[in-house]
Amino acid sequence: MNEKLIEVKNLKKYYNRGAIKALDGISVDINRGDVMVIIGPSGSGKSTFLRSLNLLEEPSDGEIIFDGVDITKKKAPNAEGKPVKLNIDEHRQKMGMVFQHFNLFPHKTIMENLTLAPIQVKRMAKAAAEEKAMKLLHRVGLADRADAYPIQLSGGQKQRIAIVRALMMEPEVMLFDEPTSALDPEMVGEVLEVMKELAHEGMTMVVVTHEMGFAREVGNRVLFMADGRLLEEGTPEELFGNPQHPRLQDFLSKVL
Amino acid sequence: MHISASGFARVFQYSQMFKEGMLCTVYLSFFTVVLGFVLALLLATMRMSDINIYRLLPRDTQRSLRLKGGIGFALARFNPISFVASLYVEVMRATPLLVQLFIVYQVLFNKNVIDLPAVTIFGFLKLNRFLPGVIALGLNSGAYLAEIIRAGIQSIDGGQTEAARSLGLSQMQNMRFIILPQAIKNILPAIGNEFVTIIKESAITYTIGVQDLMAAVKAAQAGTFLIIEPLLVVAVMYFCLTFPTSKVIAYFEKKMSVGDRRNGGDRQRMRKRKVGFAGKGEQEIPMYEEVAK
Repeated sequence: MNEKLIEVKNLKKYYNRGAIKALDGISVDINRGDVMVIIGPSGSGKSTFLRSLNLLEEPSDGEIIFDGVDITKKKAPNAEGKPVKLNIDEHRQKMGMVFQHFNLFPHKTIMENLTLAPIQVKRMAKAAAEEKAMKLLHRVGLADRADAYPIQLSGGQKQRIAIVRALMMEPEVMLFDEPTSALDPEMVGEVLEVMKELAHEGMTMVVVTHEMGFAREVGNRVLFMADGRLLEEGTPEELFGNPQHPRLQDFLSKVL
Repeated sequence: MHISASGFARVFQYSQMFKEGMLCTVYLSFFTVVLGFVLALLLATMRMSDINIYRLLPRDTQRSLRLKGGIGFALARFNPISFVASLYVEVMRATPLLVQLFIVYQVLFNKNVIDLPAVTIFGFLKLNRFLPGVIALGLNSGAYLAEIIRAGIQSIDGGQTEAARSLGLSQMQNMRFIILPQAIKNILPAIGNEFVTIIKESAITYTIGVQDLMAAVKAAQAGTFLIIEPLLVVAVMYFCLTFPTSKVIAYFEKKMSVGDRRNGGDRQRMRKRKVGFAGKGEQEIPMYEEVAK
């Protein structure tokens, strides 16, 4: 179970020619089946770190080894060991991502939102993609909204659809970027429920969140970040029960 | 000066010229739109390109460059392709269309530079007048359309691209399926405006001897000594060209905005339901049936 899926080595991200250090040397291993929750004050680099994992942010330095391939390099060795141009799109397919603001495609119906990438990227047949989409929609209780447009859905429904959209590509890891931060309080539960189910099924997840309850209940590892650095790491019991770093103690006293 | 019905009757003798003039204006506008649009796509892509000296260097060098300031840094950030496109757009927007038209006709299509054969196209149009007109109008409107297209693409929330790319869509697929459909919807009013402007501005090509609607006016005025009647006729004819154009654009605008309306999807379903009613008499049809694809 402890197989490494993503290995992050000394990841750095600088803005303004190094004046701002959003990430200042992060090293962490993400194993298959991990539910890794990243907490920390705003501006600590949590989201930047998550977005770097699938190169939505191009790191300034460091390595991200995903499935044995360093995706920060322009070239990667192919089966024969020869360096060929690295196609980041192939790797992104295996990393589902869920955003704070859902980012559903407003000009497409829910069904089209779900089937676009499987049809266009994976060359799946339309009928097969739609069947798969319906199955997943049933699971999140939104099968009756397949023909609706995103604007017709509530925030919680949109986020559940966004999760399904990422799942349609059968990713090896799901990245959640504050998935409940833009939701009304009464809708947070329905989204967390879907995420909880995913975690129980063994999906590898990296979750940036302010939901400490979720971190404690579902996470098996919790990372505390501040000022672009990884300050503390451990099980939820360790971090919440016995925080070591003064910054973490201070942070927890504010949010709990 | 008074306007009389008999005056219009006399202008009517020139109906063949007006008909050809109208066709000429339509051809002019059509080819201008095509040329302008192709040029605009090219210019917009150039302006949004991300090409600089960085790209030629291996990534490690790029990183260290990024961290250093000074002239080298500024030079490495310079994008020559975007610069050329910007320069073109600014020059075309800052000089009069009439001047551009004369430069194209008198300088570029001068007998010593490009000598067009004296042939007629579409049965009645002189190529050596028509083509310079289309090129001048197209070069000009391309600059305006480029800015419209660029603004449209850049108006789409960056989250859309992030979502598309995170699903594994390539940059091209992202443009084709996600960005352009939304961008075109947003810029349709501006594009419609530009198309209407092209139809109207094509009148300026009369000055280099293109036989468009204005040429028909001049002929009718000279032949009948009537001033106002031919002008009124041609004003109505221009209106008959521009008004449907803006209506057609408005139709597409409405059609593409289906994802903007909360009742958009339902409205489509309602329409299907009505069709069912007409065919099936009193059969009960549920309000929210699944619409078969």
